Amino acid sequence: MARETTRKNGAEHQVAMVFDLNKCIGCQTCSVACKVLWTREEGTDYHWWCTVNTQPGRGHPRDYEAMGGGYRDGVVQPGRRPTRQEWGGGWDFNYDEVLYGGKGQSVFLHHVGEEPHWGPNWDEDQGAGEYPNAYYFYLPRLCNHCTKPACLEACPRGAMYKREQDGIVLRDESRCRGYQFCLEACPYKKVYFNFLRNVSQQCIGCFPRLEQSVAPACVRQCPGRAIWFGMMDDEESPVSKLVRKWQVALPLHPEYGTEPNIFYIPPIGPARLNDDGSFNETTPRIPIEYLETLFGPKVGTSLDTLQAAMAKTREGGKSELMDTLIAYHWKDMFKPFDRDPAEIQWK
Amino acid sequence: MKAAKLQLATRTLLNPGAQQWAKVPAESISLGGTLAQQQPSRYVRTAWAGKPLGAVRTLKVQAAHNGKDILFRLEWEDETENKDHGDGSAFPDAAGVLFPLNGEAPLESMGSPKAPVNAWYWRANLPESEAQNLIATGLGTVQETAKNAAQARARWLDGRWEVVFARPFSVDGDGVKLSPRASSKVAFAVWEGSSQERGGLKSFSKRWRELEIA
Repeated sequence: MARETTRKNGAEHQVAMVFDLNKCIGCQTCSVACKVLWTREEGTDYHWWCTVNTQPGRGHPRDYEAMGGGYRDGVVQPGRRPTRQEWGGGWDFNYDEVLYGGKGQSVFLHHVGEEPHWGPNWDEDQGAGEYPNAYYFYLPRLCNHCTKPACLEACPRGAMYKREQDGIVLRDESRCRGYQFCLEACPYKKVYFNFLRNVSQQCIGCFPRLEQSVAPACVRQCPGRAIWFGMMDDEESPVSKLVRKWQVALPLHPEYGTEPNIFYIPPIGPARLNDDGSFNETTPRIPIEYLETLFGPKVGTSLDTLQAAMAKTREGGKSELMDTLIAYHWKDMFKPFDRDPAEIQWK
Repeated sequence: MKAAKLQLATRTLLNPGAQQWAKVPAESISLGGTLAQQQPSRYVRTAWAGKPLGAVRTLKVQAAHNGKDILFRLEWEDETENKDHGDGSAFPDAAGVLFPLNGEAPLESMGSPKAPVNAWYWRANLPESEAQNLIATGLGTVQETAKNAAQARARWLDGRWEVVFARPFSVDGDGVKLSPRASSKVAFAVWEGSSQERGGLKSFSKRWRELEIA
């Protein structure tokens, strides 16, 4: 059963990631770990292959959920490419003046050039709702390394492929001619165009690290123990258990039809407050209807399972699900990709 | 189509605005759009179904040589000068000259595995004077060769693109064999960047033309 669903587009095995949105603190360490490792070359200044956005929010690129792509009932959906303004980011600042020009005491650091109107994390912590019941949570996003990658199918040049050994979606840049059909077809808009090199680029799943049994940078650097990583076809892996056994981890926008391999444990959120400051346990602070627009109709079941496991442990019971979510042993979160990258002589 | 022999330096003729081109006979070639349903991508076939393709419909072509290099000057109307991708919503304008590599090749499918085609390709965001030398053996197979002797220079003036391609007759590596007092088949393509044209989405000359080199 597990293999049936992962043996698509040439992949024999599939890696997966689970983000616990109850533990993500929006610190952007994953975003920066990726940025520092992969997108420092010219032309990638605005590339953030991993981003963390506040929900509810317009996301990155701005309003990406209204740009089309993916599949509906198996039918290809036309999409559009975000403009550079909708991506935002990649700004220049007057670093030279302030940091090296002797004006550190007289000039503020400010952006140089066109006025920014959006960026990778523009609406941070805005969220929704009214005090004292306002709410928000963080949503890390990267390439979903989909089982049915719309980007891969869209490329007329066959420049994209899924790796047989781990299902990572990669682009052969020597075959890419910058047509950007992949970006139009990706409903998550996690493909970035490199305007200088005339090629599209996206998360590469840190495949050189995986080949050395090292977890992806975003996973290993997370200070909140909020990310699990592993092989989906290993039934003992936490990712497999969270997604398949307990079914608490859900894909973002399953209705896009690409079968993502990045999963999220939906946020429970704090209890609502009554006018007198007492807890209101009758309705959740984060509306279930809103969460369903992101993670589909199984959100309620997932939250019920989580609440039941919490209740059980609160009463002194034992729950493997709760032990897994607490993540007592850091390296267990991404076994067998638990090798220390500092031990390796990287070429 | 005839490529007349001129006693002029290649660098002179590479200038699209060179007055010497005014004396070279020009042929007006009608272009048509490629067909969305022939594109080798389900996404492209679906997204472009029923949309017009091939924004540029008329191309003026001149050909000449100087014994060492052969040149083609292409000119077409384009109100929008797309030198690059702009804010990401456009593509750079482009043009190409195509030859069957070994005498015969299907044009609509950009060659076949047994009958490759050779394109000299200019795109408005390539570095000055640069053209790509491409080999294709079917739709979606275009590959840039490592060795490349093709050049192109272009200018956009008053709503028109003028592009001159040049390549030596004798080349080292992959490329169509051309020589004085010989003939070849030739075809042309234009991509209008503000109409989202790139790759297989373009206008082209629909059939091979006979090129007679003086």
